[in-house]
Amino acid sequence: MDRLFERRIIFVGGKGGVGKTTTAGALGLMAAKAGRTTLLVSTDPAHSLGDVFDMPIGNEETPLGPNLTGLEIDPEAEAESHVATVKMSMKSLVAPKMYAEIDRQLELARHSPGTMEAALLERMADLMADAKSRFDLLIFDTAPSGHTIRLLALPELMAAWTDGMLGYQDRSRKLGELLDMFGKQHSKEDEFGMIGGSKDEPDTSRDGRIKDILLTRRRKFHRARELLTDKTITAFLLVLNAERLPILESKKTLDLLSKFDVPVAGMIVNRLLPRDADGDFLKERRRQEDEYRAEIDQTFAKLQRVYLHLLPHDVHGVDTLRKLGEAIVEQLGVQ
Amino acid sequence: MKWPGIKKKLRWWGYLANEAYNAPFRSTVARAKREQDDLFMLLIFSEMMGVPNPVAYYTLELQPIMLERFHEWHTRMGMEHSPLDGFRCC
Repeated sequence: MDRLFERRIIFVGGKGGVGKTTTAGALGLMAAKAGRTTLLVSTDPAHSLGDVFDMPIGNEETPLGPNLTGLEIDPEAEAESHVATVKMSMKSLVAPKMYAEIDRQLELARHSPGTMEAALLERMADLMADAKSRFDLLIFDTAPSGHTIRLLALPELMAAWTDGMLGYQDRSRKLGELLDMFGKQHSKEDEFGMIGGSKDEPDTSRDGRIKDILLTRRRKFHRARELLTDKTITAFLLVLNAERLPILESKKTLDLLSKFDVPVAGMIVNRLLPRDADGDFLKERRRQEDEYRAEIDQTFAKLQRVYLHLLPHDVHGVDTLRKLGEAIVEQLGVQ
Repeated sequence: MKWPGIKKKLRWWGYLANEAYNAPFRSTVARAKREQDDLFMLLIFSEMMGVPNPVAYYTLELQPIMLERFHEWHTRMGMEHSPLDGFRCC
C-alpha cells in the first residue's frame, strides 16, 4: 500500500462511530504533507469533519491548511438547486396560472424519499469527474457503511434504467422512421383524422433533448463506476474497532465491495486499548479485545491492517490528527 | 382530354393506389409508435402514479419536456383534465 497517496480517490468507510472522520482527516493531512493537493469530502449528512479540524467547513470548499481543502456536502442544498432548475424549465412551458401547481408538485418531489441520497451521489460523481483538474487526491469520508454501499450500487441501477429508457426512445424513433417511409409527407391525411399526422414535427428536437439528458446522466454514472472499480485510481479503507458488531458489519461491507469490484486497500483497527492501561476492568476488556483482534487477523488476513490505540484525549484539532496520521502512515509504509 | 389533364388524373390514381397500400401499415406503425411514446411518458411520471422509480430524482428534469405529451395523452384518453392529483398541466 506504499502508493496509497498516488491514487486519485480514497474512500474511508465503516460502521458509525468507529472513527472514520478522524482517520480521513489524518490521512488528508499526511497526503497534503506528502505534497499532494488534497480535497477532503464529508458525505455524512451529520457532518463532523469541521468539528474534527476545529473549524467551520460547510458546503463550500474551505482551505484547511497547506495543500488541504475540506468540503461538507449538503445534499439538501444540492436537491434544492436541482429542483429549482427543473421548476424554471417547467414554468417556461406552461401558463402562469399553473405556476403554483408546479411549485407544489416539485416541492413534493424534493421531499420524496431517496432525493437526498440521489443529490449526494450526483455531487460525488461530479467531484470524482472534475476534481482531477484541481486536486491530486480526493478523500471521501463516507456515511456509515450501508449508505456507502447504496451509493456504489446506484450507478448500476441508474445505468440499467437509462438504458431501458433509451431503448424505448430508440424503438419509438425507428417506428417514426418507418412511418416516414409509408409516406407521411402526404400531410393531407390529417384532415381526414388519420393517425400519424404532422403534429409530431417538433418531436424530433424533443426526442433529441430527452436522449441528451439521459445520455449525459448515464455517461456521468458510468464514469463514476469506472473510476470506483479501477484499482489504480480508487482505494477503499475500512475502519473498525475490535468489537463484535463492527467486525460483523465489516465482513458484510467487504463482501459487498468485492461484489461491486471496488478495490479495498486495507483496514484500520481503531481504538485498541493501550497495553499499559491498568485495572481489572480494563484487563478484562483487553482479554476480550485480544480475542476479537485474533478474529480480525484471521478473517481479514488478506488485507493490510493498521492498528491504532485509544488516546487519552479526544482527537481534536490539527496537532492530534497529525500524530494519528503519522502512526497510520508509518504502519502502512506510505512515503 | 388534354395531356396535362390526363397526367393530373394519373397522378391522382397513382396516389390513391399508393395510399391504399400504405395507409393500413401507416396507421399500425403510428399506433405502435404512439404506444411506445405513451409507455415512455408514463415511466417518466411513474412516481406520481404510485409506481416506485428508483431514479426519480434524475428523471425529474425530463418532466418539463414531457409536459406537452402528457397533456396530449390525457385528452386522447378522454380525460379533460389531468388525472393526477399532484400534477396538473391544464
